Amino acid sequence: MTAQEAVFRILRYNPERDASRRYETYRVKIDNRMTVLDALEDIKHEQDASLSFRRSCRSGICGSCAMKVNSLAKLACKTRVVTEVENHGEVLVEPMDNMPLIRDLVVDMNEFWREIDRGTPWLEWDNTLEGSSKENLLTNEQQQVSGRLADCIMCGCCFSDCVSRIFDKNFAGPASLAKVHRLVADPRDKVGANRVPALVGLGLWACTHCYFCWSQCPRDVRPVAAISVLRALSFKQGDESHGARHVNAFMNSIERTGMLNEATLYLRTMGWTTIRDFDLILKMAVKGKAPLPFPRPVPKIDEIRSIFRLAHEVKEK
Amino acid sequence: MKYAYYPGCVAKSTAPELYNSTALIAQKLGIELVELTAASCCGAGVTNEGNSFLNTVLNARTFAMAENMGLNILTICSTCQGVMRQVQWQLDNDPKLFGKTNEALAEINMKYQGRVKIKHLLWALIEDYGLDKLVQQVVKPLKGLKIAPFYGCYILRPVEALQYESHEKPTSFERLITALGGEPVEYDGKTKCCGFPILFVQRSTAFEMASTYLNNARQAKADLMVTPCPLCHISLDLYQKKAQSQAGFDINLPVIHLSQMVGYALGLEPEKLGFSKHMISTAKVLREL
Repeated sequence: MTAQEAVFRILRYNPERDASRRYETYRVKIDNRMTVLDALEDIKHEQDASLSFRRSCRSGICGSCAMKVNSLAKLACKTRVVTEVENHGEVLVEPMDNMPLIRDLVVDMNEFWREIDRGTPWLEWDNTLEGSSKENLLTNEQQQVSGRLADCIMCGCCFSDCVSRIFDKNFAGPASLAKVHRLVADPRDKVGANRVPALVGLGLWACTHCYFCWSQCPRDVRPVAAISVLRALSFKQGDESHGARHVNAFMNSIERTGMLNEATLYLRTMGWTTIRDFDLILKMAVKGKAPLPFPRPVPKIDEIRSIFRLAHEVKEK
Repeated sequence: MKYAYYPGCVAKSTAPELYNSTALIAQKLGIELVELTAASCCGAGVTNEGNSFLNTVLNARTFAMAENMGLNILTICSTCQGVMRQVQWQLDNDPKLFGKTNEALAEINMKYQGRVKIKHLLWALIEDYGLDKLVQQVVKPLKGLKIAPFYGCYILRPVEALQYESHEKPTSFERLITALGGEPVEYDGKTKCCGFPILFVQRSTAFEMASTYLNNARQAKADLMVTPCPLCHISLDLYQKKAQSQAGFDINLPVIHLSQMVGYALGLEPEKLGFSKHMISTAKVLREL
């Protein structure tokens, strides 16, 4: 254990006193085991009692101390200071994104909770199940499907770092959709897959697969993977939104030629609105980069079509 | 150096400059590319939302083809790289899926053994060719050029599947730019989403993403943006003017492919590398060089 010093640059804002957000620098004696939360406590007790932040369990369970550390949302209690210093030279601490700031590192999480609520995040008890008057146990296999999703501690890290949410306030966000999948996968829920049709309205197809929710989740919930499963269910249920049409066009193109045909993909997904990009298509043609409307299939296309046939059979089963 | 070459769909259709410039730099550096002409599309993170098993088997077939050739796979598209590595990671960690996938492949007399490595050109240049050796090949250093690397998503995340570098503080792209004599520019957005995956679904949101990060690079005084992903290139170059008019501010930032940047530094003709194929003109940047 070596004693050393780390520089903390912390965003400060007190609405009663500050006209705008500012950064303040603190120097903290650290050791190898110290977490960002430990350091914030030290600063609060020894240097500046006015510093505000949320914390409770200190062991990665309650999710209270979520904040941005060096630009990404993390739990302060699970983040080691030395790692941050190694990677970034300093520890930049800011409040989470995508939620209004109340003071210093404390954000108003109502927006996050409202989005969770939009997914009706409670179990609708199926009382027709055998033994449902008493406790209703899941088998190990059933538990494995929803287990990872049930590990969510609602800390808001995924919501903070979600690129889609920054630009699209209708997108309910990763945690909300992961929670829906947790219930869809739970055999005790009587709504089950009937929860899926409402999801297009929650922005099911607005996720870009940026994978920040996967990388920043302190519990490894992997919301983006849950969103992909929900999309697959929606697609199977006959979803006709642009997102589902895009999936359909993609699969058709690969089955026919083995490759993605951008011309037909565009037409099949966008329909008549393709006309908006007529100018672009012309420019592409001039530069010799417009896609061919009828490309030849790749060699051994029969193998690819066999795989389609097999995979559809497996899915039907 | 010899690879089973997987150029991906976009390099074979709307980004011919990526395909051609890769062929030119490979020739110049003595890298042999044996193209997997019978491979299918990787699914681009879309096919798995229609049928995830289909997506797994299609990619496993590509892996098996490379294994039959005794070669590792080289990609030039971050999305192909990310999707293929994710499928491989799932197969390597799920014996049941591995078995089921090989049962399906057996129907077409193929077998995935789990041996093949999948590498993006960026990684191959660093790991296999070596930046020290590459520096010696540079005849036209990118001197004085401020270059914004746009990593995007699929070449970085999820880190568990890609197993290459930290997504929090990646350095591979910056090291390559520096080796070629350029100056990497730091800006907010280099590891964010270009907007492409939702371009056909929520066009205005996609435009906002592209214009925001392009503008951040512009504000950081970048002369040029470089991307390892042709899908990012569609969003950032092909649609830049449309994104710009929606945003209501001027961006006009040239965006080129990684292979073109390498090719230029190796002394290849900009015209042959396809510098005139972009929607945002690269003429000013080339003049300044």
